[in-house]
Amino acid sequence: MSSSKTNVNSSGLCVKDLQVEYNNGQPALGKVNFILPEHGIYTVIGPSGSGKSTLLRAVAGLLPDYAGQLLFNGKAVQDKETLIGLVPQNYGLLPWKTVRANIRTALRIARPAISDKQEVESRIQRWLTSMGISELAGRYPLSLSGGQQQRVAIARAFAIMPTILLLDEPFSALDAITREALQVLFLEHWLAHPVTALFVTHDVEEAILLGQQIIILPASKEETPDIVDNRAVFGMKHEDKRSSEDFFEQTKRIRKVMREKW
Amino acid sequence: MNKRLLQQVVRLVLVFAGINVIWYLAFLLMNHPILPSPLTVYRAMFELGAGNIALNVGYSLMRIFAGVAVALVLGLLVGLLMGRSPLWNRLLDPVVYLTYPVPKIALLPVVMLFFGLGETSKILMIMLILLFQVIISVRDGVKAIPASTYDVLTSIGANAAQKFWNVTLPGALSVILSTIRISLGTAISVLFFTEIYGTEHGMGFFIMDAWLRLDYPEMYAGIMLFSLVGFVLFLLVDLLDYKFMKWRNQ
Ligand SMILES: Nc1ncnc2c1ncn2[C@@H]1O[C@H](COP(=O)(O)OP(=O)(O)OP(=O)(O)O)[C@@H](O)[C@H]1O
Ligand SMILES: [Mg+2]
Repeated sequence: MSSSKTNVNSSGLCVKDLQVEYNNGQPALGKVNFILPEHGIYTVIGPSGSGKSTLLRAVAGLLPDYAGQLLFNGKAVQDKETLIGLVPQNYGLLPWKTVRANIRTALRIARPAISDKQEVESRIQRWLTSMGISELAGRYPLSLSGGQQQRVAIARAFAIMPTILLLDEPFSALDAITREALQVLFLEHWLAHPVTALFVTHDVEEAILLGQQIIILPASKEETPDIVDNRAVFGMKHEDKRSSEDFFEQTKRIRKVMREKW
Repeated sequence: MNKRLLQQVVRLVLVFAGINVIWYLAFLLMNHPILPSPLTVYRAMFELGAGNIALNVGYSLMRIFAGVAVALVLGLLVGLLMGRSPLWNRLLDPVVYLTYPVPKIALLPVVMLFFGLGETSKILMIMLILLFQVIISVRDGVKAIPASTYDVLTSIGANAAQKFWNVTLPGALSVILSTIRISLGTAISVLFFTEIYGTEHGMGFFIMDAWLRLDYPEMYAGIMLFSLVGFVLFLLVDLLDYKFMKWRNQ
């Protein structure tokens, strides 16, 4: 299972020769190639402005224009059947809706088949509880802290049970302790329901802890991204990862790439 | 919250009482039938009977509601179109720009020539007063919603109607409400003018009728009731604001 060759027909999320320019004509994302297998999870790191958010927005179908191909199991990602759960960098909560109503709205739109009100409400409650924010259910986003809003956005993305989960620095506004707790929670949830996921982060450790492969976007849009195989660390028990030799080696390897290309 | 509400009510009652005191003093000073005492006016109001009051107030309210409703629906449609589509904005912007400064009240004779003296022209006038304000505020309100607000809904495949109900409308609602609040005063004044002609009901007719009969207490009673109608309408807008803008004030 080599990831350096991009075969359009393979299963999972196939990103082939993806290139993005915004209206100003400046490249926002250089040529990106990778295959994220179905039920796999990759992390993406890169310096500010390297196009991490742009990559996610392209996969989420939010960019009208891009060059290259974006396929999921051989079909266009934008296909109706592929439900995409997005945790945007700015959390993307609707300020005029309460926390509960934000999640309810997403659920109603993404999963119209769940018509049972009770089922919808209990699902919302379950996710709020597991994110540790059940007491915020009736509050409006503007009255929440950044970290609290972030957890609401994560709860919303999880609640709709998407086919592809896209997270844009979802833990960036959290303190170290909450962050580690949520990393564990996230990983447990992912292991229980392995959704195909792309996880953008600024944090090298987080990238190593949570990704089967690590996509390192370069600062220059001309260079190709490095993809580092991280299955050795990913396969360990979570609490053993940080203290392992592999983790240390991986950190060194990634820092080296960062020194050269950032 | 309740305490603040109570304070607000107390303040309003005090101001109302104050106005009555000044009125009474003016009455004592002038001592002339063109300014009856507040007591006489309230007695006249009482003698009008609930049915009579309800009929006139009801007609006026009905005209305002109809005018506001039509203006809102049309203004929302056009404003939305202009806010969401640059093409339509380019087409309609000069139209709005040219017609906006035309004093709508000056169109009263034209509207009456075309649509007669009946309900249509009364409602149409109120609608005209509000329409352009609503169009402009909806357009600007919709434009002011950051594009990224739609992102999550777009990514989970929301259709246009779902985006409208969940993002566009609530996002533009605060501007819409403040526009209604501002234009409501003008709309009520215009209502008064239109009710002078071609009707036997409504507060405007009632006041003018009492005036022509030289029944000053009843005329003032009419003015008081008309003001009450305006006050209730403002209260209604405030109530809507409180209900739908909670997210900003929490
Ligand atoms: N809407 C836009 N219009 C024009 N250019 C844009 C737009 N959004 C992003 N860009 C540009 O595209 C490039 C990539 O931006 P992007 O937001 O993807 O970076 P990022 O890697 O997510 O950065 P950060 O870590 O700061 O979030 C940047 O140079 C940015 O200026
Ligand atoms: Mg970003």
